[in-house]
Amino acid sequence: MAKAKGYSDPKMEAKLKDRYFYRTDSNAEFSKNVRDISRTISHMCYQCGTCTGSCPSAPRSSYRIRLFMRRNVLGMEEEALTDPDLWLCTTCYSCTDRCPRDIAPTDVIMAMRNLAWKRKIVPVNFLKTVQAIYTTGHGVPNNDVNRAARVRLGMEKEPPTVHRYKEYLPGIQKILDHYGLKDQADKIVAEAEKHA
Amino acid sequence: MHDYAFFLGCIAPNRYPGCEAAAIKTSKKLGIDLLPLEGASCCPAPGAFGSIDLSIWYAMAARNLVLAEKMKKDIALLCNGCYKSIWEVNHKLKQHDELRDKVNEVLKVIDMEFKGTIDVWHLIELYSDPKIVGVEKVRESVTRPLTGTRVAVHYGCHLLKPKKERHFGDTENPMWIEELVGALGAEPVQYRKKMQCCGAGGGVRGYDIAHSLDITNEKLINLHEAKVDALTEVCPFCQLQFDRGQIEIKEKFGKYWGLPVLHFNELLGLAQGMSPTDLALDLHGVDCTPFLNKIL
Repeated sequence: MAKAKGYSDPKMEAKLKDRYFYRTDSNAEFSKNVRDISRTISHMCYQCGTCTGSCPSAPRSSYRIRLFMRRNVLGMEEEALTDPDLWLCTTCYSCTDRCPRDIAPTDVIMAMRNLAWKRKIVPVNFLKTVQAIYTTGHGVPNNDVNRAARVRLGMEKEPPTVHRYKEYLPGIQKILDHYGLKDQADKIVAEAEKHA
Repeated sequence: MHDYAFFLGCIAPNRYPGCEAAAIKTSKKLGIDLLPLEGASCCPAPGAFGSIDLSIWYAMAARNLVLAEKMKKDIALLCNGCYKSIWEVNHKLKQHDELRDKVNEVLKVIDMEFKGTIDVWHLIELYSDPKIVGVEKVRESVTRPLTGTRVAVHYGCHLLKPKKERHFGDTENPMWIEELVGALGAEPVQYRKKMQCCGAGGGVRGYDIAHSLDITNEKLINLHEAKVDALTEVCPFCQLQFDRGQIEIKEKFGKYWGLPVLHFNELLGLAQGMSPTDLALDLHGVDCTPFLNKIL
């Protein structure tokens, strides 16, 4: 009968059982969270680099999607979430279409951004879109130049969205308030503007 | 006549109203009636919202879907970003019960429930689908062929990709929008890195404008090399990035390309005889006159 592989030294044995590369700053929970939020098999990356090779952001910055994929596998939470390059993904999904492992690296980035948000790490422009939607229902709201152009085209000044039917706005605000998103956004934006 | 609830999004009605006007008029000529989806909001922006919290993105997009479910109409839209939010959330909530339950818990706060009774379509796929419109019918609707013009196509990302979740097939060199451009009488032109992103998505335009414009500039270099008269796309956000982006590129990098950028519906409108004034082409950052001189 074949004997199971193992070490006699219990410390070595513990390392063998640890399926994640052992580092004191490695957090296995992080990889699990990324996998759950991204709904992709993010732990299966074998670092071929097809993603970085397909990335439009890679040639013009230090952003390397392969690096983030590795950080995910190794549970390098701090490194991944505090790297400003995390926000340079245009979500074009070229890497996702070409990944030979059938992973969606784009969704891994989105998951990491979600986790960064939980620690209040987020560029202000993302929150300004949230504020615009909270106040007007639109990320890019109408303006006077556009209103005049609409009238010239024989259209109503306001499009038939929540812009014209304002009674729908409270519903939108209730959804955002359910997550406390507006309050948090306001706080972070105010803080950032104070430092600017 | 096929009826659809017309989901407008933000940039078409609030920055390029000509796109909205053209979509309604040109679709009518092709047998598609676009009905207003009253009370719709931002899709919401997949880059900005998805990056913060995907569950809020689901809930907000589901609210727009429920408005159309109440109308008992499928949604038609004209923007790839909206397609990503509205189509993908509809698709995922239909497939995954646990996601749907979570969303419905939130929608209960505003007395709504996602049921999954409708489908979502991009206008361009309806135009290309022979069961609804088809290339031949588009060709027949043309009264002012765009003969003698060289037009390149920018597909954008979120319509076709990720490939395995969509139904459009090849994402490395698709040709079906070129067929439609050909039907308008223009010569569709191939260029290097046709499928590269415009650079605006994922919140990058707001986060690092120079980085974002550099991606756009690479596309403009490749388009210039192919000697095209105009670029057409099916996404107002890509349009904003290419059109007003050229003004920003001039300010930041000192190079002015002057390439007219037209949404496919604006191009279709011109081919169906609409005037540049009907399309509010004066709102474009880049002057479209050199292109218009070739066809008018």
